Amino acid sequence: MSVIIQERMPVQKKLEILSAAAKYDVACTSSGVDRSGSPGGMGNSVGCGICHTFSADGRCISLLKILFTNECIFDCKYCLNRASNDIVRASFTPEEVCTLTMEFYRRNYIEGLFLSSGILVSPNHTMELLCITLKMLREVHRFNGYIHCKAVPGAAPSLIEMTGWYADRMSVNLELPTASGLRNLAPHKSRKNILRPMKQIQLGRKEAVGKPFRIQDSRTGSDIKLPDDLRLKDSLNKDDLRLEEDLRLKKDLKLPDEWKSEGDWKLQDNFKNPETVILRPSSSALGLVKRPAVSRGFVPAGQSTQMIIGATPENDYQIISVAEALYQKFDLKRVFYSAYVKVNEDSSLPSLQDGPPLLREHRLYQADWLLRFYGFQASELLSEERPNFNILMDPKCNWALGHLGKFPIEVNKADYYTLLRVPGIGVKSAQRIVKIRKTSNLRFEDLKKIGVVLKRALYFITCGGKMMYPVRLEENYITNQLISIKERLPYGIDGSNLYEQLSLFDDVNFTSLNHTDIRSLTL
Amino acid sequence: MITKKIFMCEDSIEGIFAAIYDAGSSRYGHDNIRIQVQTAGTENFDMELFSEYIYVAGDEEKALKVSKAIREKISGEAYEMVCHAALSDEGKKGDMIYRFLILGFSLGPKAVNLLNNDKVLNIFNLNRNVMNESHHFLGFLRFTESKDNILFAKIKPRNDILRLIAPHFSDRLNMENFIIFDERRKTAVFHKSGFFWIYVTADDFNMDKLLELSDQEEEFQSLWKTFFNTIAIEERKNYRLQRNNLPLRFRSNMPEFSSNDINSSDDISGK
Ligand code: SF4
Repeated sequence: MSVIIQERMPVQKKLEILSAAAKYDVACTSSGVDRSGSPGGMGNSVGCGICHTFSADGRCISLLKILFTNECIFDCKYCLNRASNDIVRASFTPEEVCTLTMEFYRRNYIEGLFLSSGILVSPNHTMELLCITLKMLREVHRFNGYIHCKAVPGAAPSLIEMTGWYADRMSVNLELPTASGLRNLAPHKSRKNILRPMKQIQLGRKEAVGKPFRIQDSRTGSDIKLPDDLRLKDSLNKDDLRLEEDLRLKKDLKLPDEWKSEGDWKLQDNFKNPETVILRPSSSALGLVKRPAVSRGFVPAGQSTQMIIGATPENDYQIISVAEALYQKFDLKRVFYSAYVKVNEDSSLPSLQDGPPLLREHRLYQADWLLRFYGFQASELLSEERPNFNILMDPKCNWALGHLGKFPIEVNKADYYTLLRVPGIGVKSAQRIVKIRKTSNLRFEDLKKIGVVLKRALYFITCGGKMMYPVRLEENYITNQLISIKERLPYGIDGSNLYEQLSLFDDVNFTSLNHTDIRSLTL
Repeated sequence: MITKKIFMCEDSIEGIFAAIYDAGSSRYGHDNIRIQVQTAGTENFDMELFSEYIYVAGDEEKALKVSKAIREKISGEAYEMVCHAALSDEGKKGDMIYRFLILGFSLGPKAVNLLNNDKVLNIFNLNRNVMNESHHFLGFLRFTESKDNILFAKIKPRNDILRLIAPHFSDRLNMENFIIFDERRKTAVFHKSGFFWIYVTADDFNMDKLLELSDQEEEFQSLWKTFFNTIAIEERKNYRLQRNNLPLRFRSNMPEFSSNDINSSDDISGK
């Protein structure tokens, strides 16, 4: 590995290097846990999350998002910090991370800390450093704000557990949607090493619920549990699913020597010596270490993960099927999608002449939203035959057009989840409809007032048995109508030239279009 | 012809409620009445010919009666919505609240659900607007540390949200001494380490001492700017999205947007 290490680098320089190194991690939310201030400490946490500023790319900054170190021994091909890159390397000390967090927090720059890391020396060594930092922040500085910490794939379960008692949220990045993608681009990581800590955290959270502190879960109300028989084909391979057992066996593993950290970490932490921390090998995911005196719960805000989109050839169907499985089998709070940004030259990576695939990323977030809050399943949205989202319209419109037989529905009668399936009706307007119609019948002008987008919805609904205008319920006709209403895409995701190019193909059957078709059309 | 009765009141919950009390117990008829809050902007508004102006002083007793009536005859939810609406900077808020209450007193608790009714929708929107701005300031407010180790923040909110955000900061920073100052209304919240916060009007507030910064203040501001500038992804630069999420009006007290740093200044041309 080529490393340029500068002795005594100023914190400013470290911060520059280690925040630049962390910027591609997309998860920056501070949500999921409500906790009030602690006497004598500093900080609280707000369930809905708080954005403190927005960076030049328009993304919310909520947490101080940094790597602990970019001195990484791994060589993931898509990553700037890969061992084979010639870049300046730096590592924080736990004390430096604490100072930055506390001082930024006091000034209300941030909601808390997002601590990730490259692999320094070994996974265990790295995880220990992260854990020491969190411990110091919580116990020495009495920080009571939000902490999101990465679980390092391949680190010992005892270290993961200890970290979980200090963190609010943990995440292990799936990195790439499929195991083969991972093999190709991240040769030092394995699917199993990624899913094992994920499983441990999931089980640990379940066990911790019975313990004498409360886990507040802002999502319980809206959790969408699907009946078992509707479960989709496993997109995670069988090995992954045996993890639960696997984890129990690995319980009392003897930790390798290498994770006893060298160097100058002069902390008296009781988990430096693995013999003393493994209290009782039991059949649970927790109990490997002694819990800290002040308990905020075990990973109370749950876990998230992220996948890089567009670096490997998976289609949208594979991606959202994986996301669905993660929500259902690992109880993840969020799956994040990160449009691949080319930072390294490597023959195994795509060239991406048009920049990062932002529109595709946007469609995936829309679909993810449908999975989490609208009661959709991945297999309803896409299929082997139609494996990619329609580039011209959002996944819900696309679904509705494929299921015209279910429409129109009567706004004054249809249940909440049926309302949610109408293009132009979102969570808020559906809730309002249900509220208002308890007292009065809704008319079209009322729908407009409460935020229903009528120019989309009108093809799919009736009010008091009547449609707004007499329209043909015919797929191609409505598709053309809907496409002519320009979709409000986030700024910067520009579909405009796409529409122009398409107008050359007026007689194209829009409903069959997807990414690949479009690409071949516009070439 | 019937002259319109215009009840003028102070810009406070108490003032508005007192006017509503007087208006409601007068015999002029709801249609002939308007409630007008005196705000900075309305001091020299056009007086209407053929209108009679009635000035109502704030009155705790009347206000309490109105608030009790709202909670009992409509609901606690309605009361909260009205209180937030009263903090709005909407000039017509007094009359909007009045109209909503007339409806609410006749319909009871279900009134808050009638979002298809404009009188309800108005209050709903005022409430939402106030709450949104309040939530924004939880994130966008910035403290600087003074030489005396006091954290000081200036804000310039549209709505009067100071008292809505105070509990959050006093819980979060309970061991700190801090002051949040509303530059527009000249009001402030003071918090002393370990105590509850207090709200004061501060017309001749002298902030010179607070603006003498501590030795490390500049260093942390500069560290913050470094972080802010490096965390953006070049390939995804999107100033329109940034401005949409964080409108310019919030930025005056945010160090990451201070003008001496060209990297962080927004691209005004909107490219
Ligand atoms: S482990 Fe892989 S992704 Fe993480 S910092 Fe190292 S090279 Fe990058």
